Amino acid sequence: MRALRAASLRHLLRHPAQLALALVGLTLGVGTMVAVDIATQSARRAFELSVAAVNGAATHEIVGGPGGIDERLYVRLRAALRGAAEPAAHFAPVVAGYVSAGGRIFELIGLDPFASAELDAGAGRAAAFGVRRLEEVRGWFTRPGAVVMNAAAAHALGVAAGASIVLEVGGVAHRATLIARLAGTSAGLDTLIFTDIAQAQEWLQSTGKLSRIDVRLPADSAGAALAGELAALLPPGLTLRSMRAGTRETLAMTDAFTTNLKAMSLLALLVGTLLIYGAVSFAVLQRRTIIGVLRALGATRREVLAMVLGEAALLGLAGAACGALLGLLIGRGLVGLVSRTINDLYFVVAVNEVSVPPAALLEACGAGLATALLAALLPALEVAASAPTLGLARSVLEGRALRIARRLALLGLALAAGAGLTVALSSRSLLAGFAALFLLLVAVAAVTPAVLRALAQVCARLAAGVSSVARLACADVGASLSRTGVAIAALGMALAAMIGVGVMVESFRESLREWLLQAMRADVYVTAPGPSEGLERRLEPQVIEAILSVPGIRAHSEGRRITVTSPSGPVDLNAVGLAAESYAGYRFTAGEPARAWEEFAHGAVLISEPLAWRLSLAPGSALTLSTDAGTRAFPVAGVYREYGNDRGEVLIDLPEYRRWWRDDAIAGLGLFLAPGVSAGPVSDAVRAAVGTRQALLIRSNAAIRALSMRIFERTFVITRVLYWLAAGVAAVGLLSALLAWELERARELALLRALGLTPAATAALVLAQTVFMGLVALLVAIPAGLLTALTLTEVINRRAFGWRIDLHLAPEQFTNALWLALAAALAAGIYPAWRGARAAPGERLREE
Amino acid sequence: MTTTHMRRVAAIAGIMGALAWLMARGLPPPDPAVLPAGADGGFAEAVAPRAFVFPRDHGPHPEFRQEWWYVTGNLDGAGGERFGFELTFFRFALAPPAGADGASAADDEEHPAKSLWRTRQVYMAHFAITDVGARRFRYAQKLARGALGLAGAAGAPLRVWIDDWTLAAPGGAGGDWKLAAAQPGYALELGLQPLTPPVLNGEAGLSCKSDVPGSASYYYSVPHIAVHGTLSRQGKPLAVAGLAWLDREWGSGGLGPGEAGWDWFALQLDDGTELMFYALRARDGSRDPHSAGTWVESSGAAHGLASAAVGIEVTARWTSADGVQYPAGWRIRVPSLALDVAVHPVLADQELKTTPRYFEGAVDVRGTRAGRALGGRGYVELVGYAR
Repeated sequence: MRALRAASLRHLLRHPAQLALALVGLTLGVGTMVAVDIATQSARRAFELSVAAVNGAATHEIVGGPGGIDERLYVRLRAALRGAAEPAAHFAPVVAGYVSAGGRIFELIGLDPFASAELDAGAGRAAAFGVRRLEEVRGWFTRPGAVVMNAAAAHALGVAAGASIVLEVGGVAHRATLIARLAGTSAGLDTLIFTDIAQAQEWLQSTGKLSRIDVRLPADSAGAALAGELAALLPPGLTLRSMRAGTRETLAMTDAFTTNLKAMSLLALLVGTLLIYGAVSFAVLQRRTIIGVLRALGATRREVLAMVLGEAALLGLAGAACGALLGLLIGRGLVGLVSRTINDLYFVVAVNEVSVPPAALLEACGAGLATALLAALLPALEVAASAPTLGLARSVLEGRALRIARRLALLGLALAAGAGLTVALSSRSLLAGFAALFLLLVAVAAVTPAVLRALAQVCARLAAGVSSVARLACADVGASLSRTGVAIAALGMALAAMIGVGVMVESFRESLREWLLQAMRADVYVTAPGPSEGLERRLEPQVIEAILSVPGIRAHSEGRRITVTSPSGPVDLNAVGLAAESYAGYRFTAGEPARAWEEFAHGAVLISEPLAWRLSLAPGSALTLSTDAGTRAFPVAGVYREYGNDRGEVLIDLPEYRRWWRDDAIAGLGLFLAPGVSAGPVSDAVRAAVGTRQALLIRSNAAIRALSMRIFERTFVITRVLYWLAAGVAAVGLLSALLAWELERARELALLRALGLTPAATAALVLAQTVFMGLVALLVAIPAGLLTALTLTEVINRRAFGWRIDLHLAPEQFTNALWLALAAALAAGIYPAWRGARAAPGERLREE
Repeated sequence: MTTTHMRRVAAIAGIMGALAWLMARGLPPPDPAVLPAGADGGFAEAVAPRAFVFPRDHGPHPEFRQEWWYVTGNLDGAGGERFGFELTFFRFALAPPAGADGASAADDEEHPAKSLWRTRQVYMAHFAITDVGARRFRYAQKLARGALGLAGAAGAPLRVWIDDWTLAAPGGAGGDWKLAAAQPGYALELGLQPLTPPVLNGEAGLSCKSDVPGSASYYYSVPHIAVHGTLSRQGKPLAVAGLAWLDREWGSGGLGPGEAGWDWFALQLDDGTELMFYALRARDGSRDPHSAGTWVESSGAAHGLASAAVGIEVTARWTSADGVQYPAGWRIRVPSLALDVAVHPVLADQELKTTPRYFEGAVDVRGTRAGRALGGRGYVELVGYAR
C-alpha cells in the first residue's frame, strides 16, 4: 500500500501542469456555482432585510387594492380584538410609496412612530431608549418635510443632517429636510426614507388612506384564532396575510430568473465534470504499466480503486476549496448584475452586503467532491478490474477507447431520446425542462468521440492521396480517443450551450423588437415617473387637460397600472382606455380578436401570455381578483402576446376597472398625432403646457422602444457572463487534454523528427490536429446548439415565463462559437506545437 | 423647576421612547441639555393667578405647552385584597398653536389636502397597579398623537383618552367621573365621586417653583375622591372601592438649572384631612426653597405650606435590581399642624421603568396628630433618582 501511495504521489508531482489544469476546470465549475448562489442569495437577503427594517416585528399585514385602506379602519381595529384585559393584537399604519431623489429611487415609508414602537415592543426588538434630543422629536412632527434616513442613503444623496433635499413624487417636487440620520448598519435601510405618516399621505396624495396596516399577533394558537377573527372583521377588498407569505410572494417573482441562473451555473459544473473525468482517466492510462506492476506485486483491486478514488477526492476537495474562493470573488461581481436585473424587472432593492450562505460553501465542497469521485469512478473501476499483467499495449487501449466511443455514441442517442421523452411527458415542470436540457448536452458530449473518430478516418482517407504527414495527423487524432475524446466532448458541449443560449437570446430579442413595433402604437407617451406599478404614478387632471389641449393630437389612449391581490398572489393590472388605433397593438395567441374585444368592452379581461401560463388560464376561464368590493371572477376573453412583464398582466377596460376599484387616477397617456405632425415639437409643447406642475416622462415611440431594448440587453448580461464562463471551463479543459496528449506522445513526435520532419512541419502538424479537433467539436455543437436553443425557447422560457418566442437565427451566434473553437484549439496547441518542434529528436528517443 | 416640568420631561422622553423605535438604529449621542427653558415662544405662560372655572378647567388648555391629569388611589377588594393604582394622562404640545408664533408651526404650511394625522399634540399615559397581596407591581405606557380620535382631551364634558384608556366625566361636573384602563393581567374600571371641590395649590392655583419667570404652572387637586368599580385580574373581576386623588397641572415653562428631581407626597389621613407636599431636590441633594405643599381640612378648606414648614427625614432606602437607590421610608413632621407621621411604601418595587424612570407607589401612613394616633394611605412619587 505504501508503494501505491508513493507511486500516486510521484505521478501527481511529476505532472504538475496536468494536475493544475484539471484543478482549474473544477475550480471554474464550482466557482461559477458558488458565485451564482452568492449573488442570488445576496439579492434575496437584501430584500428580506429591507422588509425587516420596515416591519420587523409584524407577523401579518392588512393590504388592500389600489384605493388603499381607509385610515378610519385602523382606528376601529385598535379598539377591536381587545380581550378583557390585554390588547392581543397590535397594529401600526404604514403609508408607503416610491419617490426619487438625486436620480435614485427610494421607498418612502410614512409611519406613526408611536404605533410602530408599540408594535415592536415586547417583540424581542426592544428599542434602546437612549435618545435625548428634543429637536429630532419635535422636528419629526412639526418640521415641514421632515425625513429620516440612514447614513448610507444620506451619503448617496450627499445630504447632511439638517440639510434639504428635493424628493420627486410622481414628478411633483417636494422639499424635504433630513432631520436625523439613522446610523444603523442594516443594508435593508439603504433604499428607505422615513417620514411621518401625515407627511407621507400629503406627498403621496393619499390623505385618508393607508398603504397597509402592519399587525402583530401572538405566535401561538390564540394568534391563529385572532387572525381568523381579524380577517372576518375586514371590509371587502382587504386581505390579512402573514408577512412571510407577503415576502414569499414578492421573492417568488424572481424564482424563474434565479432558476435560470442556477441552471447556467450547473452547466459550468457539468463541463467541469467532464474535465475531471478526462484528467483522471488520462492519469490512469498513463500509469497502466506501473499499476499493472503493482498489481502483480500483490496490490489488491480494492487498494488500486482506493488509490485512484483517493486522488480524485483530493483533487475534488482542492477544486472545491479553490472554487469556493473563486466563487466569492466572482460572486461579488455578479451581485451587481443580479440586483440590477431584479431592479429592472421586479422590485427596488439595494444589495450592499454580499451574504455568503454557508450552505453554498458546503454545496460547493459537496459538488466538487461528488463531481470528482463520479468522474473518476469509471476509470478507477476499469483499471482495478484489469488483470495484474505488466500493462496493456497501447493498441489494446485505443481499441478499448474505440469500443467505448461506440458505446457512448449509442448512449448519447439514448440520452437525446430521453431528453425528448422528458419534455413530452412533462407539460409544465421547469425542472423537467432543465433536466431535458442537461440530458441533451450530455448526449452531445457522448456522441462527440465517435464523431471525431469517424471524421478523422474519413479525413485520413482523403488526405492519404495528398500527403503522408496529413494522413498521419488525421489518423493519429482518430487513434488517440482515449486522450482527446473527453476534452473534445467537453468543448462540444460548451459550444452547443453557447450556440443554444446565443440563439435563444437573439430570438428573444427579435421577438421583443417585433412586439414593441406592433404594441407601441401611439407616437408620444406621457407618463408620471416612478416604478411601473407604483400607486403614486398619477397625472393630475389639470395636467391631463393641459396635455390634451396641445394642438396636433388626433387621439389618445390612457392607462393606469397597479398591482392587485388575488387568491393566486399579486397580479398586475393594466387598466386602459384605448384609442381606436391601439387595438391593433395586441396580437392574440388565444381567443378570436373581434369577439375578445367585444367581450372586453363588456367587462371581460384580456390576459398576457405569461399570466395565462402561470395561472393556467384560457379564453372562457375566469380570473378571480380582489376588488375594493370583494373578490370577483372576471371572465377571460383572450390571451395576447406581451414581453414587458414576465409575471404577466391583466388588461381591463378603464370604466370596468373604476367600477370595481376606488381609483380614478391616470398614470399615462399615449398620444396619437395628426398626419404631418412630428413627435419632437409635440413633446416640447406638452412639456410647456404642463410647466412646473409635474415633471413628466415624455417619450417618443422610438425612445421607448430603445429603452426597452436597453433594459433587455442589461438583463441578459448575466446570462452572457455565465456562458462565457462555461466556455472558459471548456477551453481550459481542451488545453489540459492536448497538453497531456502531446507530452505523452513526445516520443512519437521525436520519431517523426528523426525521420526528417522539420520543426515547422512538426508544429504545423500539432496545430492542425488541434484545430481539427476544435472544428469537429463545433460541427457536433451546431445541430446540438440548435436543439438546445429550441429547448431553451420552447421548453425553458415557456415553462419559466410563459412566453412564446419565435426562433430567430443570426450568423454571429455561430461565428462566436467558431471563434471560440478555433481560439481554444489554437491556444491549446501552441505550447505542444512549440515543444514538439523544439525537441531534439535523439534526446527524446533516448529518454526511455 | 417643578413637578410639571419634570413630568413634562417625562412626556418628552416618552415620545422619544417611541421615536427610539426609529432611532434605535442610532441617532446622534444623547444630549444632556434636555430642555432649554423657553425654547420657543408662542405658548401661553402661567405668570399670574387666574380665575379657575369648573368644569371648564378640568378640560384641556392647548394654548399651554404641557398638561396632565393624574389619578392615584388606594383600593380594597371585597375579599380584603389591597391595591394601589395610577392612571395618568399627559398632553404635550410640540409646537405653539397656529398663528401664535408661526415660525415653527407646521399647521401653517399650505397643503393641497391636509392629512388628518397632522397634529402638534401628543399624548402619553401611564397605568400602574400595585397588587399588594400578590406582591406584584405592573405598569404600562401608551403614546399616541392627538389625531383621528386615537388620543385626545375634550373639555365639556371632560374626556381624556388614549385608545380605550379613559378618564371622563360623562354627566358633567356634578355627576360621577369614570376611568378605565387595561394592561396585560389587569383591567380597571372605576366610578369616581369627588367628595371635595378642587383645591387650588400655590398662590390661588399659580404654582411657582423657581425664580424663572414663566416657569410656573397652574395646579389644582381634587384630594378626596370616593371610587368604586371593578378590577379584573387575569380576566377574573373583583369588586373594589377606595379613595383616589386627582392632580391637574398645566403650564409652558422650562427646566431650571441645577435641579435633580423631587419627592411628591399625597397623603389621605383617616380623619378626613389631606397633606400634599413636593420637596424639590437640588443637584447637591439639598431641598430647593421653592418646595411647597397644601394642607386640606376635612371641611375642604385648604392652606398653603411653605418649604420650611415641613420636615422630612428619610428612614429607609430601597435599591432596584439594577442599582438605582430610592428612599423607601420617611418621617414627615409639620410642627404647625402638630403632625408627625411615618410613611412606608406598601411594596418596595413600584418603579415605572419608563423614560425617565420614576417611582409612583401606594404608601401607608402611621403617626400622630396633636398626640392622637392617626393612620392613612397615600401615594408618593420619586423622580430623578435614576440617571
